[in-house]
Amino acid sequence: MKGYRRYFLNKLAWFLVTFVFAFLLNFILPRLMPGDPVAAIVARIAQGMNNTTGVQAIYQQYADLFGTNKPMLEQFFIYIKNVFHGDFGFSFSQYPRTVADTLKSAIWWTVALQFPAIIVGWIIGNTLGALAAYLKGGFDKVLMPVSIFISNFPQFGMAVILMVIFGVGLKWFPTSGGYGFDLIPNFSWKFIWSVIIHYQLPFWSIVLIAIGGQAIGMRSMSIYELNADYVKYSRFLGIKDWKIIGYVFRNAMLPQVTGLALSIGTMVGGALFAEIIFSYPGLGTTLLHAALGQDYPLISASALIITVMVLIANFTIEILYGFIDPRIRAAQSD
Amino acid sequence: MKHTLRQVFHSGKFVTGFSIFMALLLIVIVYPLIIKGDPLAIISEGTFLPPGIYVSTFDAINSPTTYILHLDDAAAKRIANKLSNDDRLAIKDWLVKDGIPENEIDITDTAKLLELWGKNFDSALQLPGMTFAKAQYYRRLDASLKGLLSTEGVTIAVQNPQTGALEQTGTVKQSDYVNLNNVANVRVLPLGTENFGRDVLTELVKAAGVSLQLGLVAGLIATLIGLTLGLLGGYVGGWVDDIIMFITNLFTVIPGIVLLILISFSIGQEKRGVVTIAVVIGFTAWVWTARAVRSQVISLRNRDHVNLSKLSGHSIVHIIVADILPYIASYVVMAFILQISSAILAEAGLSILGLGPRTTDMPTLGLMMNWALIYQAQILGKWWAYFPVIVAIALITFSMNLMNTGLDQIFNPALRD
Amino acid sequence: MIDMSRVMLEVKELTTKYITRFREDVYAVDHVSLKVEEGKSLGIAGESGCGKSTLALSLMGYYFPPLHFTGGEIVIDGQNISGMAPDDIRKSVLGKEIAYIPQAAMNALNPTLKVIRFLEDVIQAHDPKITRKEIHELAIDRFETLGLPAEVLQKYPVELSGGMKQRTVIAISVILCPKVLIADEPSSALDVTSQKMVIKMLMDLMEKGFIKSMIFITHELPLLYNVTDDIMVMYAGQIVEQGTAREAVFDPLHPYSKGLMGSIIVPESGLRGVKLAAIPGVPPNLKNPPEGCQFAERCKYVVPECKTHSIDLRELEGGRAYRCIFSEEQLREAYKNG
Repeated sequence: MKGYRRYFLNKLAWFLVTFVFAFLLNFILPRLMPGDPVAAIVARIAQGMNNTTGVQAIYQQYADLFGTNKPMLEQFFIYIKNVFHGDFGFSFSQYPRTVADTLKSAIWWTVALQFPAIIVGWIIGNTLGALAAYLKGGFDKVLMPVSIFISNFPQFGMAVILMVIFGVGLKWFPTSGGYGFDLIPNFSWKFIWSVIIHYQLPFWSIVLIAIGGQAIGMRSMSIYELNADYVKYSRFLGIKDWKIIGYVFRNAMLPQVTGLALSIGTMVGGALFAEIIFSYPGLGTTLLHAALGQDYPLISASALIITVMVLIANFTIEILYGFIDPRIRAAQSD
Repeated sequence: MKHTLRQVFHSGKFVTGFSIFMALLLIVIVYPLIIKGDPLAIISEGTFLPPGIYVSTFDAINSPTTYILHLDDAAAKRIANKLSNDDRLAIKDWLVKDGIPENEIDITDTAKLLELWGKNFDSALQLPGMTFAKAQYYRRLDASLKGLLSTEGVTIAVQNPQTGALEQTGTVKQSDYVNLNNVANVRVLPLGTENFGRDVLTELVKAAGVSLQLGLVAGLIATLIGLTLGLLGGYVGGWVDDIIMFITNLFTVIPGIVLLILISFSIGQEKRGVVTIAVVIGFTAWVWTARAVRSQVISLRNRDHVNLSKLSGHSIVHIIVADILPYIASYVVMAFILQISSAILAEAGLSILGLGPRTTDMPTLGLMMNWALIYQAQILGKWWAYFPVIVAIALITFSMNLMNTGLDQIFNPALRD
Repeated sequence: MIDMSRVMLEVKELTTKYITRFREDVYAVDHVSLKVEEGKSLGIAGESGCGKSTLALSLMGYYFPPLHFTGGEIVIDGQNISGMAPDDIRKSVLGKEIAYIPQAAMNALNPTLKVIRFLEDVIQAHDPKITRKEIHELAIDRFETLGLPAEVLQKYPVELSGGMKQRTVIAISVILCPKVLIADEPSSALDVTSQKMVIKMLMDLMEKGFIKSMIFITHELPLLYNVTDDIMVMYAGQIVEQGTAREAVFDPLHPYSKGLMGSIIVPESGLRGVKLAAIPGVPPNLKNPPEGCQFAERCKYVVPECKTHSIDLRELEGGRAYRCIFSEEQLREAYKNG
């Protein structure tokens, strides 16, 4: 277990460092703008506002939040303190609603949609890739070009196509929202069913793209493993084919898991666009409205939350990897 | 080198991708030379005109030469245009409800159908189960059918500026045809117009060109940064490498889109030109290249020819350029191709969020997509506003990735099938 | 009790071919016959590409594309395996009757399996009823007998050194006490010390009766003299010389063997003063084998008939054989004259 503990600590340290870095970036980037950031921001959003008291209030609140008259370091600590209290300030576009409030509901919708979708896509994609490598022949010749094509399809493109075919054309599924407009969230069957059918199109658009990407990678890995020496050797010792296949795919999967950890950032990014296209009430749509409404606090907080989610996912996958690759556990100090 | 080129152009995948890409490039370059006209000019009033050939009715009527053609199916086509199958079924439905026996109604016999209709239709009659909207529909239908079977022409009249009375200037008979070539104003809009009223096809070609340029700039920047960092980290090693790896890993995990959003927003809309966005994208996308280059350089570092150079006393720069670069050139080219396509996608994503380049001077593929989505083109069924954009993006990225896969198979024989 | 007359492996006119991607036939093993008795070991020597590894694979009886069985007979301890169905071969022949140690055995182990788990799979593939406890006991016992520490069983391949991996692979290959062991270049990729240990282990196996006969394939001739009883020299898929180790090394008949032996230094008395000579030229392309003798292009003593007649194997007494158009006397005469 000693090897694993080292691995775990290593990954944990990495997680914390990246988190701090992301946090810093989130803090520093907007403040790199020349001039008084608060005035610039307030000027932008106050364009349509006639209520000078309102503008003053926002300016004051934001100046306090930024502490623009205080030294940078102190501003930073104020920021940290606020964030850890869950206080991200007020949302400009949805004033007087707070950012935290807006984010709270959005986060769960996103998590509920994206992570199952990515995982399901990963599983199906890897299975198909493995099958293609093993069966070869016709199956492979069909799967390869299809996967290449789908994996290069822009995420929003897939979302739009699904929407048009199944939502607008065949009218099987609704095209927007997380649940029916006429429903208030509750635990009735009607609501749950509505959520489920609204879930389908965004879900499948994410899954399909994930499948495309994974299938190609797994196929390459599997081909590589299938030609490995230990396969031939195991054959010559009389081990049954299906057992050997088990070896091959277990070994081919390991780099795929690592690959997932590395690419989860991109996958989440793409999935956000699927949410936007379907006006799904998750972080994607929140970001969109925030960007359109020049709502700086909301953008900043959403960006931070998304980054944290990705970091956590990355960390979790890396830890899991330590469990499934037996070499990690067995590694002695070198 | 020659041998490599030959192999490259023998690879099916590469050639396919390359051909598609070249075709796209050709279109982007040649089209504006043929069709001159500002891609951003708004040419239609009203949004989302469907694709087709638009003929100025005014000019058609006033065409210098009129021809007379007698075509057998002209009348039938005319009627079918006005009276769709659904309409016929509705008429039959009404007649049946009115009491006409069903077997006497033949919806394919237009003359008879209209005769029955003309004899029996009463707009004031309220049939059981008919809603108000339906009643209106029948009334409209009836009005539009008046004179459908007549073979008379129409009269053209011009208003006398002094008396205000209409004076006849000519007639148009049903057998009058004009040659499109004689019509002064004919505009072909293969992809119709979009939400602003611009010609989609012309705009699309221009946007594709802009996006490609953007991709190129971003790709160059990303590849250069990635190449430099990868070379430094891989070759020099030690703590330099540690730092570079650290930075690389940081940027790997933090979603690129988040960085792009933050930076783009911080820049502010006035400063967001196409080039600026390209630079920003380039600065966040170098990670993959750096990684790939670094691992290659590490494996090359201890090869014999490199050691030989070191022993010969060549400077680091010389070693890197002469001994290492040629071997990683293939990876760099592949990385560059990938960077271009992902930069185009990144720009599209940013534009959808409204954080892309300024919307006034140049269209990009992402911007076109954005507009289409904002104006709900997909829900309204105006496929020409968004589908060609998706196809364009898909074709660009697909052709580039195909080229890349082809190159990959050449440089990594293990992946050949 | 070793019964020297019991024939462990008898091969008659074995012919196998590769079918290349372009549907061409490459006859890598061309009418090969050999015999190995109980307690004996046969060395197979030749250049790279002469077909010795393919011969090894062919002897296993387990063919899968692109390798195809074309003709001949393989009899292991009286059992003819040449016609058997692949599934039967897998169940009862592979590993049990005849075992194979691949080249570069270091890479032959699944990197994500502990040695003992792999052993479990190997043994259970032949005897599904055996319990894990029994397997463990057998493994520990066998490994220690062969001079391998029992801890190796609990390790992953990445934790073992090259030499250790090789010996582990050997131990695994013979876990079921096969009658014939084929070792394909077992020591080529190792340092000298490890080489010695590997060879010692192989001889040990024979001595302790874990294997009844052995085929040792190599391109390093000095090895064969000290390790095997008989030697067979292969060239372009055919046997060109066969005989006891002493005969093959000190009294080679075929010009190729003569050339090979002339290119090594054997520090034995009587051989001082023999000049080193490399054999110019390259082996023929097996896709389009030339008419007549395969070695004709490179042979010092070639005459026009060599290229037009197909040359058969000449069998002499005592199991000696060679493939040349000349008689024994003619060859010895030629060699004497240089």
